[in-house]
Amino acid sequence: MPPSAALRLEKSDFRLTIPSQTRYLNLVTGLAKRASQLAGMDDSTAAKVSIAVDEAVTNIIMHAYGGEEDHSVELDLRFTLTALEIHMWHTGVGLRGNQIVLPDPKEYVKHPRKGGLGLLLMSRFMDEVRFSEEKGRSECCMIKTIA
Amino acid sequence: MTDLSIQVRDAGCVSVVEPSGFINAHTVRQFEGALESLVQEGRFTILLNCRELNYISSAGLGAIMGLIETVRENKGDILLCNLQENVFAIFDTLGFTQLYRVFASEEDALASLMEQA
Repeated sequence: MPPSAALRLEKSDFRLTIPSQTRYLNLVTGLAKRASQLAGMDDSTAAKVSIAVDEAVTNIIMHAYGGEEDHSVELDLRFTLTALEIHMWHTGVGLRGNQIVLPDPKEYVKHPRKGGLGLLLMSRFMDEVRFSEEKGRSECCMIKTIA
Repeated sequence: MTDLSIQVRDAGCVSVVEPSGFINAHTVRQFEGALESLVQEGRFTILLNCRELNYISSAGLGAIMGLIETVRENKGDILLCNLQENVFAIFDTLGFTQLYRVFASEEDALASLMEQA
């Protein structure tokens, strides 16, 4: 792992910064899955959280950064009493609320096409997904409530 | 450990593709390349045996989606079998279980194709 992929452990959260390269997706999804299990989720739910994280980080690498590999993606996994919050920050092109169009699965089945599926998976597998911008950085925050 | 390895074998007129590992944005070109090679060889009936597939992201689903019209136009199809629970959840959540025929086992899938022939 290059020095830029640094892991920092705090009392109740993990922070991980990775280069904007898809080769690190497995590292991130593995961490998300284990964190979900640690938060008390069953294996099936933990797998869904890890897939949602894969989609979110892929969106950042491929769309926000346009596939450029020399940027960073910062992830913060926060454990609360009732949920696991996953915050992802980047300095690329951020998504705004009005740009988010989730395909209707019923229409999608009738008229299949590429694109939009990642956001749909994120919204289906997580309890809350929101996008925001602050001080030149964009954030994608996903929350999974612990059942 | 590699993120993805793919085995391809023939079962009569069916090409059985067995991905092992993870299909995501990092590995999707490898997966897409394997499917495209089959289509270029005129192998239009493809069975994805997913018993060793740990997960597939939307990038991988897009690769399947990108070829489905071509294979069906050539009287072929892409079928799925042996989906692990979380992989099935992804296909089902997106409605792909209505788009593709899903079987419990490779034997069931091949038997269904034999009946159809």
